[in-house]
Amino acid sequence: MTALTADKAAAWMADFAASIAENAELLTDLDRQIGDADHGSNMNRGMKAVCALGSEFPDAPALLKKVGMTLVNSVGGASGPLYGTFFLRLAKELPSSGDATPEVWGKALRAGLQGILDRGKAKVGDKTMVDALTPAVDAYDEAVTGGAEFGQALQAAAAACAEGRDSTVDLVAHKGRASYLGERSKGVQDPGATSVTLLLESAARTLA
Amino acid sequence: MVGFVVVSHSRALARAAVALAEEMVPAERRPRVEVAAGLDEDTLGTDAEAISTALESLLGGDDPADGVLVVLDLGSAILSAEMALEFVDPDVAARVRLSPAPLVEGLIAAFVTASTGAGLDAVASDAEGGLRAKQEHLGAQDAPVSEEPDGEASEEGELTWSATLSNPHGLHARPAAVLVQALSDADADVQLTDVTNGNGPVPAANMLMLTTLDARNGDELRATITGPDAAQARDALQAWADGGFGEAPQG
Repeated sequence: MTALTADKAAAWMADFAASIAENAELLTDLDRQIGDADHGSNMNRGMKAVCALGSEFPDAPALLKKVGMTLVNSVGGASGPLYGTFFLRLAKELPSSGDATPEVWGKALRAGLQGILDRGKAKVGDKTMVDALTPAVDAYDEAVTGGAEFGQALQAAAAACAEGRDSTVDLVAHKGRASYLGERSKGVQDPGATSVTLLLESAARTLA
Repeated sequence: MVGFVVVSHSRALARAAVALAEEMVPAERRPRVEVAAGLDEDTLGTDAEAISTALESLLGGDDPADGVLVVLDLGSAILSAEMALEFVDPDVAARVRLSPAPLVEGLIAAFVTASTGAGLDAVASDAEGGLRAKQEHLGAQDAPVSEEPDGEASEEGELTWSATLSNPHGLHARPAAVLVQALSDADADVQLTDVTNGNGPVPAANMLMLTTLDARNGDELRATITGPDAAQARDALQAWADGGFGEAPQG
Protein backbone atom coordinates (compact mmCIF):
# COMPACT_ATOMS: atom_id res chain seq x y z
CA MET A 1 0.00 0.00 0.00
CA THR A 2 1.03 3.59 -0.52
CA ALA A 3 1.53 6.04 2.30
CA LEU A 4 -1.33 8.15 3.55
CA THR A 5 -0.40 11.63 2.42
CA ALA A 6 -2.39 14.82 2.46
CA ASP A 7 -2.69 14.45 -1.32
CA LYS A 8 -4.18 11.00 -0.94
CA ALA A 9 -6.74 12.22 1.57
CA ALA A 10 -7.52 15.15 -0.73
CA ALA A 11 -8.08 12.74 -3.60
CA TRP A 12 -10.54 10.80 -1.45
CA MET A 13 -12.41 14.00 -0.64
CA ALA A 14 -12.42 15.18 -4.26
CA ASP A 15 -13.80 11.83 -5.38
CA PHE A 16 -16.44 11.88 -2.65
CA ALA A 17 -17.40 15.45 -3.54
CA ALA A 18 -17.83 14.46 -7.19
CA SER A 19 -19.90 11.46 -6.18
CA ILE A 20 -22.10 13.60 -3.94
CA ALA A 21 -22.57 16.17 -6.71
CA GLU A 22 -23.53 13.40 -9.12
CA ASN A 23 -26.01 11.91 -6.67
CA ALA A 24 -27.28 15.11 -5.03
CA GLU A 25 -30.59 14.89 -6.77
CA LEU A 26 -31.09 11.26 -5.73
CA LEU A 27 -30.18 12.04 -2.12
CA THR A 28 -32.53 14.99 -1.97
CA ASP A 29 -35.28 12.99 -3.62
CA LEU A 30 -34.95 10.18 -1.04
CA ASP A 31 -34.99 12.80 1.67
CA ARG A 32 -38.04 14.45 0.13
CA GLN A 33 -39.94 11.20 0.63
CA ILE A 34 -39.02 10.62 4.28
CA GLY A 35 -37.33 13.77 5.52
CA ASP A 36 -36.96 17.43 4.74
CA ALA A 37 -35.64 17.24 1.18
CA ASP A 38 -32.26 18.76 1.86
CA HIS A 39 -29.73 15.93 2.25
CA GLY A 40 -28.37 16.17 -1.29
CA SER A 41 -28.14 19.94 -1.36
CA ASN A 42 -26.73 20.07 2.19
CA MET A 43 -24.02 17.49 1.50
CA ASN A 44 -23.25 19.09 -1.84
CA ARG A 45 -22.80 22.49 -0.20
CA GLY A 46 -20.58 20.91 2.47
CA MET A 47 -18.38 19.00 0.05
CA LYS A 48 -18.03 22.04 -2.23
CA ALA A 49 -16.74 23.92 0.80
CA VAL A 50 -14.35 21.03 1.44
CA CYS A 51 -13.08 21.19 -2.14
CA ALA A 52 -12.41 24.89 -1.70
CA LEU A 53 -10.07 24.27 1.23
CA GLY A 54 -6.94 24.33 -0.93
CA SER A 55 -3.86 22.21 -0.46
CA GLU A 56 -1.99 23.81 2.40
CA PHE A 57 -2.10 20.80 4.69
CA PRO A 58 1.01 19.23 6.20
CA ASP A 59 -0.51 15.76 6.47
CA ALA A 60 -3.68 13.71 5.99
CA PRO A 61 -5.02 13.96 9.57
CA ALA A 62 -4.72 17.76 9.43
CA LEU A 63 -6.72 17.83 6.21
CA LEU A 64 -9.37 15.41 7.47
CA LYS A 65 -9.77 17.38 10.69
CA LYS A 66 -10.38 20.51 8.63
CA VAL A 67 -12.87 18.55 6.52
CA GLY A 68 -14.75 17.69 9.71
CA MET A 69 -14.93 21.30 10.86
CA THR A 70 -15.90 22.50 7.40
CA LEU A 71 -18.82 20.07 7.24
CA VAL A 72 -19.88 21.14 10.74
CA ASN A 73 -20.28 24.74 9.70
CA SER A 74 -21.45 24.39 6.13
CA VAL A 75 -23.82 21.43 5.85
CA GLY A 76 -26.58 22.77 8.08
CA GLY A 77 -28.57 19.59 8.66
CA ALA A 78 -27.88 16.71 11.01
CA SER A 79 -25.32 15.38 8.51
CA GLY A 80 -23.08 18.33 9.48
CA PRO A 81 -22.41 17.27 13.06
CA LEU A 82 -22.62 13.56 12.12
CA TYR A 83 -20.14 13.60 9.23
CA GLY A 84 -18.16 16.26 11.06
CA THR A 85 -17.75 14.02 14.09
CA PHE A 86 -16.87 11.08 11.84
CA PHE A 87 -13.99 12.96 10.24
CA LEU A 88 -12.75 14.54 13.47
CA ARG A 89 -12.58 11.17 15.23
CA LEU A 90 -11.10 9.47 12.16
CA ALA A 91 -8.40 12.13 11.89
CA LYS A 92 -7.51 11.73 15.54
CA GLU A 93 -6.64 8.07 15.05
CA LEU A 94 -4.59 8.51 11.88
CA PRO A 95 -0.82 9.12 12.16
CA SER A 96 0.60 12.33 10.71
CA SER A 97 3.62 10.28 9.60
CA GLY A 98 1.55 8.77 6.81
CA ASP A 99 2.35 5.29 8.07
CA ALA A 100 -1.24 4.11 8.36
CA THR A 101 -1.38 0.31 8.41
CA PRO A 102 -4.65 -1.49 7.61
CA GLU A 103 -5.01 -2.09 11.37
CA VAL A 104 -4.62 1.63 12.13
CA TRP A 105 -7.22 2.42 9.46
CA GLY A 106 -9.53 -0.12 11.07
CA LYS A 107 -9.17 1.60 14.41
CA ALA A 108 -9.77 4.99 12.79
CA LEU A 109 -12.90 3.86 10.93
CA ARG A 110 -14.22 2.29 14.13
CA ALA A 111 -13.58 5.55 16.00
CA GLY A 112 -15.43 7.47 13.29
CA LEU A 113 -18.39 5.12 13.54
CA GLN A 114 -18.35 5.42 17.32
CA GLY A 115 -18.39 9.21 16.92
CA ILE A 116 -21.54 8.98 14.83
CA LEU A 117 -23.13 6.65 17.39
CA ASP A 118 -22.23 9.02 20.23
CA ARG A 119 -23.50 12.06 18.37
CA GLY A 120 -26.73 10.73 16.88
CA LYS A 121 -27.54 8.05 19.46
CA ALA A 122 -28.95 5.85 16.71
CA LYS A 123 -28.74 2.06 16.81
CA VAL A 124 -28.61 -0.50 14.04
CA GLY A 125 -32.18 -0.88 12.79
CA ASP A 126 -33.17 2.77 13.28
CA LYS A 127 -32.95 3.42 9.52
CA THR A 128 -29.94 5.72 9.52
CA MET A 129 -26.39 5.85 8.17
CA VAL A 130 -25.48 3.58 11.11
CA ASP A 131 -27.25 0.69 9.34
CA ALA A 132 -24.74 0.97 6.50
CA LEU A 133 -21.58 2.06 8.29
CA THR A 134 -21.72 -0.55 11.07
CA PRO A 135 -21.60 -3.60 8.78
CA ALA A 136 -19.02 -1.77 6.66
CA VAL A 137 -16.58 -1.35 9.55
CA ASP A 138 -17.26 -4.91 10.70
CA ALA A 139 -16.56 -6.25 7.21
CA TYR A 140 -13.38 -4.18 7.01
CA ASP A 141 -12.07 -5.62 10.29
CA GLU A 142 -13.00 -9.12 9.28
CA ALA A 143 -11.16 -8.77 5.99
CA VAL A 144 -8.02 -7.40 7.67
CA THR A 145 -8.08 -10.14 10.29
CA GLY A 146 -8.38 -12.66 7.46
CA GLY A 147 -5.19 -11.29 5.91
CA ALA A 148 -6.70 -9.08 3.20
CA GLU A 149 -4.77 -6.17 1.73
CA PHE A 150 -5.91 -2.65 2.57
CA GLY A 151 -7.57 -2.20 -0.82
CA GLN A 152 -9.43 -5.50 -0.55
CA ALA A 153 -10.60 -4.63 2.94
CA LEU A 154 -11.94 -1.30 1.69
CA GLN A 155 -13.74 -3.11 -1.14
CA ALA A 156 -15.30 -5.44 1.40
CA ALA A 157 -16.33 -2.47 3.53
CA ALA A 158 -17.93 -0.69 0.58
CA ALA A 159 -19.84 -3.81 -0.43
CA ALA A 160 -21.12 -4.37 3.11
CA CYS A 161 -22.03 -0.70 3.32
CA ALA A 162 -24.14 -0.98 0.16
CA GLU A 163 -25.86 -4.07 1.55
CA GLY A 164 -26.59 -2.23 4.78
CA ARG A 165 -27.89 0.73 2.79
CA ASP A 166 -30.26 -1.57 0.90
CA SER A 167 -31.49 -3.03 4.18
CA THR A 168 -32.79 0.40 5.23
CA VAL A 169 -35.56 0.26 2.62
CA ASP A 170 -37.69 -2.06 4.72
CA LEU A 171 -36.95 -0.39 8.05
CA VAL A 172 -39.14 2.00 10.00
CA ALA A 173 -37.28 5.16 11.00
CA HIS A 174 -36.65 5.76 14.69
CA LYS A 175 -34.29 8.72 14.42
CA GLY A 176 -34.24 12.02 12.62
CA ARG A 177 -36.94 13.78 10.68
CA ALA A 178 -38.11 10.50 9.10
CA SER A 179 -39.12 9.18 12.51
CA TYR A 180 -42.07 11.60 12.47
CA LEU A 181 -43.45 9.47 9.65
CA GLY A 182 -43.40 6.21 11.62
CA GLU A 183 -44.60 3.28 9.49
CA ARG A 184 -44.86 5.54 6.46
CA SER A 185 -41.06 5.76 6.37
CA LYS A 186 -40.98 2.13 5.20
CA GLY A 187 -40.23 1.47 1.54
CA VAL A 188 -37.74 4.30 1.05
CA GLN A 189 -33.97 3.92 1.23
CA ASP A 190 -32.37 6.06 3.92
CA PRO A 191 -30.56 9.10 2.48
CA GLY A 192 -27.80 9.07 5.11
CA ALA A 193 -27.10 5.38 4.54
CA THR A 194 -26.95 6.20 0.83
CA SER A 195 -24.42 9.02 1.19
CA VAL A 196 -22.17 7.13 3.61
CA THR A 197 -22.00 4.30 1.07
CA LEU A 198 -20.75 6.83 -1.48
CA LEU A 199 -18.06 7.79 1.04
CA LEU A 200 -16.88 4.20 1.46
CA GLU A 201 -17.00 3.57 -2.28
CA SER A 202 -14.84 6.66 -2.78
CA ALA A 203 -12.42 5.37 -0.16
CA ALA A 204 -12.12 2.04 -1.97
CA ARG A 205 -11.43 3.87 -5.25
CA THR A 206 -8.84 6.30 -3.95
CA LEU A 207 -7.09 5.26 -0.75
CA ALA A 208 -5.40 1.94 -1.47
CA MET B 1 -27.94 37.23 35.05
CA VAL B 2 -28.34 34.01 33.09
CA GLY B 3 -28.02 34.46 29.34
CA PHE B 4 -29.46 32.58 26.37
CA VAL B 5 -28.38 31.11 23.08
CA VAL B 6 -31.21 30.44 20.67
CA VAL B 7 -30.41 27.66 18.23
CA SER B 8 -32.73 27.14 15.31
CA HIS B 9 -32.57 26.06 11.68
CA SER B 10 -34.07 29.42 10.81
CA ARG B 11 -32.51 32.75 11.69
CA ALA B 12 -35.87 34.45 11.18
CA LEU B 13 -37.57 32.03 13.57
CA ALA B 14 -34.90 32.53 16.23
CA ARG B 15 -35.08 36.32 15.97
CA ALA B 16 -38.86 36.27 16.18
CA ALA B 17 -38.76 34.04 19.26
CA VAL B 18 -36.33 36.49 20.87
CA ALA B 19 -38.63 39.39 20.00
CA LEU B 20 -41.57 37.62 21.65
CA ALA B 21 -39.51 37.03 24.79
CA GLU B 22 -38.16 40.58 24.88
CA GLU B 23 -41.68 41.93 24.80
CA MET B 24 -42.13 40.44 28.28
CA VAL B 25 -39.35 42.36 30.00
CA PRO B 26 -38.42 46.06 30.02
CA ALA B 27 -35.27 46.73 27.99
CA GLU B 28 -33.06 47.62 30.95
CA ARG B 29 -33.74 44.30 32.70
CA ARG B 30 -33.43 41.95 29.76
CA PRO B 31 -31.05 39.01 29.86
CA ARG B 32 -28.44 38.77 27.11
CA VAL B 33 -29.38 36.63 24.14
CA GLU B 34 -27.29 35.38 21.24
CA VAL B 35 -28.86 33.89 18.14
CA ALA B 36 -27.01 30.99 16.50
CA ALA B 37 -29.45 30.02 13.79
CA GLY B 38 -29.47 29.37 10.07
CA LEU B 39 -26.39 29.15 7.87
CA ASP B 40 -27.11 32.67 6.70
CA GLU B 41 -30.14 34.94 6.49
CA ASP B 42 -32.07 32.56 4.22
CA THR B 43 -30.40 29.16 4.34
CA LEU B 44 -31.90 26.79 6.88
CA GLY B 45 -29.39 24.94 9.02
CA THR B 46 -27.44 24.88 12.25
CA ASP B 47 -23.74 25.33 12.84
CA ALA B 48 -21.89 23.99 15.87
CA GLU B 49 -19.12 26.57 15.48
CA ALA B 50 -21.57 29.47 15.53
CA ILE B 51 -23.08 28.04 18.71
CA SER B 52 -19.71 27.69 20.42
CA THR B 53 -18.83 31.26 19.43
CA ALA B 54 -22.10 32.48 20.95
CA LEU B 55 -21.42 30.57 24.16
CA GLU B 56 -17.93 32.03 24.43
CA SER B 57 -19.22 35.52 23.81
CA LEU B 58 -21.75 35.22 26.65
CA LEU B 59 -19.51 33.42 29.12
CA GLY B 60 -16.15 35.01 28.37
CA GLY B 61 -15.02 38.60 28.67
CA ASP B 62 -15.20 41.00 31.59
CA ASP B 63 -18.85 40.59 32.40
CA PRO B 64 -19.78 36.95 31.85
CA ALA B 65 -23.37 35.77 32.18
CA ASP B 66 -24.22 33.68 35.26
CA GLY B 67 -24.64 30.60 33.09
CA VAL B 68 -26.29 30.10 29.73
CA LEU B 69 -29.45 28.26 28.81
CA VAL B 70 -29.48 27.02 25.23
CA VAL B 71 -32.96 26.69 23.76
CA LEU B 72 -33.23 24.84 20.48
CA ASP B 73 -35.58 23.59 17.84
CA LEU B 74 -34.98 20.06 16.58
CA GLY B 75 -32.76 17.56 14.83
CA SER B 76 -29.42 19.04 13.89
CA ALA B 77 -29.94 21.88 16.36
CA ILE B 78 -29.51 19.35 19.14
CA LEU B 79 -26.54 17.58 17.56
CA SER B 80 -24.84 20.88 16.77
CA ALA B 81 -25.39 22.22 20.29
CA GLU B 82 -23.94 19.06 21.82
CA MET B 83 -20.99 19.32 19.49
CA ALA B 84 -20.50 22.99 20.41
CA LEU B 85 -20.11 21.96 24.05
CA GLU B 86 -17.17 19.81 22.99
CA PHE B 87 -15.58 22.75 21.15
CA VAL B 88 -15.62 25.22 24.04
CA ASP B 89 -13.41 25.24 27.09
CA PRO B 90 -14.65 22.71 29.70
CA ASP B 91 -14.92 25.62 32.12
CA VAL B 92 -17.35 27.32 29.72
CA ALA B 93 -19.24 24.09 28.98
CA ALA B 94 -19.80 23.52 32.69
CA ARG B 95 -21.86 26.72 32.85
CA VAL B 96 -24.14 25.80 29.95
CA ARG B 97 -27.39 23.86 29.98
CA LEU B 98 -29.15 22.53 26.87
CA SER B 99 -32.88 22.81 27.40
CA PRO B 100 -35.35 20.13 26.32
CA ALA B 101 -38.06 22.79 26.42
CA PRO B 102 -40.11 23.77 23.37
CA LEU B 103 -38.29 26.68 21.74
CA VAL B 104 -40.85 29.48 21.86
CA GLU B 105 -42.64 28.67 25.12
CA GLY B 106 -39.43 27.65 26.86
CA LEU B 107 -37.56 30.78 25.87
CA ILE B 108 -40.37 33.11 26.93
CA ALA B 109 -40.81 31.47 30.33
CA ALA B 110 -37.11 31.25 31.03
CA PHE B 111 -36.40 34.77 29.80
CA VAL B 112 -38.78 36.27 32.35
CA THR B 113 -37.35 34.12 35.13
CA ALA B 114 -33.79 35.04 34.17
CA SER B 115 -34.66 38.73 34.20
CA THR B 116 -35.34 38.49 37.94
CA GLY B 117 -31.76 37.38 38.53
CA ALA B 118 -32.72 33.74 39.14
CA GLY B 119 -29.99 31.11 38.80
CA LEU B 120 -29.51 28.62 35.97
CA ASP B 121 -31.39 25.81 37.76
CA ALA B 122 -34.52 27.92 38.19
CA VAL B 123 -34.30 29.32 34.68
CA ALA B 124 -33.86 25.86 33.15
CA SER B 125 -36.70 24.46 35.20
CA ASP B 126 -39.09 27.23 34.16
CA ALA B 127 -38.17 26.67 30.53
CA GLU B 128 -39.10 23.02 30.88
CA GLY B 129 -42.42 24.02 32.40
CA GLY B 130 -43.03 26.17 29.34
CA LEU B 131 -45.82 23.99 27.98
CA ARG B 132 -47.79 23.95 31.20
CA ALA B 133 -50.10 26.88 30.52
CA LYS B 134 -50.98 25.63 27.07
CA GLN B 135 -51.53 22.07 28.27
CA GLU B 136 -53.82 23.18 31.05
CA HIS B 137 -55.75 25.52 28.83
CA LEU B 138 -56.29 22.91 26.16
CA GLY B 139 -57.05 20.21 28.71
CA ALA B 140 -54.18 17.97 27.77
CA GLN B 141 -53.56 14.91 29.89
CA ASP B 142 -50.88 15.04 32.54
CA ALA B 143 -51.34 18.71 33.18
CA PRO B 144 -49.08 19.08 36.17
CA VAL B 145 -50.52 19.91 39.54
CA SER B 146 -49.15 22.93 41.30
CA GLU B 147 -47.21 22.35 44.45
CA GLU B 148 -49.36 22.79 47.49
CA PRO B 149 -47.78 24.77 50.26
CA ASP B 150 -47.50 22.75 53.44
CA GLY B 151 -50.62 22.38 55.51
CA GLU B 152 -50.21 24.86 58.31
CA ALA B 153 -53.23 27.10 58.36
CA SER B 154 -51.34 30.25 59.03
CA GLU B 155 -47.62 30.42 59.44
CA GLU B 156 -46.18 32.95 61.75
CA GLY B 157 -45.52 36.19 59.92
CA GLU B 158 -47.74 35.22 57.01
CA LEU B 159 -49.44 38.10 55.26
CA THR B 160 -52.39 37.94 52.97
CA TRP B 161 -53.49 40.20 50.19
CA SER B 162 -56.41 40.18 47.84
CA ALA B 163 -57.77 42.16 44.91
CA THR B 164 -60.19 41.89 42.05
CA LEU B 165 -58.49 41.47 38.70
CA SER B 166 -59.49 44.41 36.57
CA ASN B 167 -57.45 44.20 33.44
CA PRO B 168 -59.58 43.37 30.44
CA HIS B 169 -57.82 40.24 29.25
CA GLY B 170 -57.15 38.61 32.59
CA LEU B 171 -53.84 37.40 33.93
CA HIS B 172 -52.12 36.49 30.68
CA ALA B 173 -48.40 36.22 30.12
CA ARG B 174 -47.45 39.89 29.94
CA PRO B 175 -49.14 41.11 33.14
CA ALA B 176 -47.87 37.94 34.82
CA ALA B 177 -44.34 38.80 33.72
CA VAL B 178 -44.76 42.29 35.16
CA LEU B 179 -45.76 40.75 38.50
CA VAL B 180 -42.78 38.40 38.48
CA GLN B 181 -40.58 41.44 37.89
CA ALA B 182 -42.30 43.45 40.62
CA LEU B 183 -41.76 40.71 43.18
CA SER B 184 -38.21 39.88 42.21
CA ASP B 185 -36.55 42.28 44.65
CA ALA B 186 -38.40 40.97 47.72
CA ASP B 187 -37.14 37.94 49.61
CA ALA B 188 -40.56 36.42 50.08
CA ASP B 189 -42.62 33.45 48.95
CA VAL B 190 -45.84 34.60 47.33
CA GLN B 191 -48.53 32.03 46.54
CA LEU B 192 -51.41 33.26 44.43
CA THR B 193 -54.88 31.74 44.25
CA ASP B 194 -57.82 32.61 42.02
CA VAL B 195 -60.63 32.41 44.54
CA THR B 196 -63.29 32.80 41.86
CA ASN B 197 -62.38 29.76 39.78
CA GLY B 198 -60.58 27.84 42.53
CA ASN B 199 -57.26 27.54 40.66
CA GLY B 200 -54.01 27.71 42.57
CA PRO B 201 -52.18 28.37 44.70
CA VAL B 202 -49.23 28.84 42.36
CA PRO B 203 -45.90 30.54 43.03
CA ALA B 204 -46.08 34.15 41.87
CA ALA B 205 -42.38 33.98 40.97
CA ASN B 206 -43.20 31.79 37.98
CA MET B 207 -44.79 33.58 35.06
CA LEU B 208 -46.19 30.51 33.37
CA MET B 209 -47.57 29.06 36.59
CA LEU B 210 -49.36 32.37 37.07
CA THR B 211 -50.98 32.01 33.68
CA THR B 212 -52.23 28.54 34.64
CA LEU B 213 -54.52 30.25 37.16
CA ASP B 214 -56.56 31.19 34.12
CA ALA B 215 -57.63 34.28 36.05
CA ARG B 216 -60.16 36.36 34.12
CA ASN B 217 -61.30 39.93 34.41
CA GLY B 218 -63.37 40.23 37.59
CA ASP B 219 -61.83 37.22 39.37
CA GLU B 220 -60.75 37.64 42.95
CA LEU B 221 -57.06 36.97 43.53
CA ARG B 222 -55.72 36.11 46.93
CA ALA B 223 -52.07 35.89 47.93
CA THR B 224 -50.38 34.39 50.95
CA ILE B 225 -46.96 35.87 51.56
CA THR B 226 -44.19 34.57 53.78
CA GLY B 227 -40.55 35.44 54.25
CA PRO B 228 -38.40 38.28 55.57
CA ASP B 229 -39.63 40.77 52.98
CA ALA B 230 -43.30 39.76 53.11
CA ALA B 231 -44.45 43.34 53.69
CA GLN B 232 -42.42 44.61 50.75
CA ALA B 233 -43.89 41.86 48.57
CA ARG B 234 -47.41 42.83 49.63
CA ASP B 235 -46.69 46.45 48.71
CA ALA B 236 -45.39 45.26 45.35
CA LEU B 237 -48.59 43.27 44.77
CA GLN B 238 -50.67 46.32 45.61
CA ALA B 239 -48.58 48.53 43.35
CA TRP B 240 -49.03 45.98 40.58
CA ALA B 241 -52.80 46.05 41.11
CA ASP B 242 -52.88 49.84 41.30
CA GLY B 243 -50.91 50.03 38.08
CA GLY B 244 -53.64 48.15 36.20
CA PHE B 245 -52.19 44.68 36.87
CA GLY B 246 -49.30 45.28 34.57
CA GLU B 247 -51.40 46.67 31.77
CA ALA B 248 -52.11 50.30 31.14
CA PRO B 249 -55.86 50.85 31.29
CA GLN B 250 -57.26 50.92 27.80
CA GLY B 251 -58.96 53.93 26.36
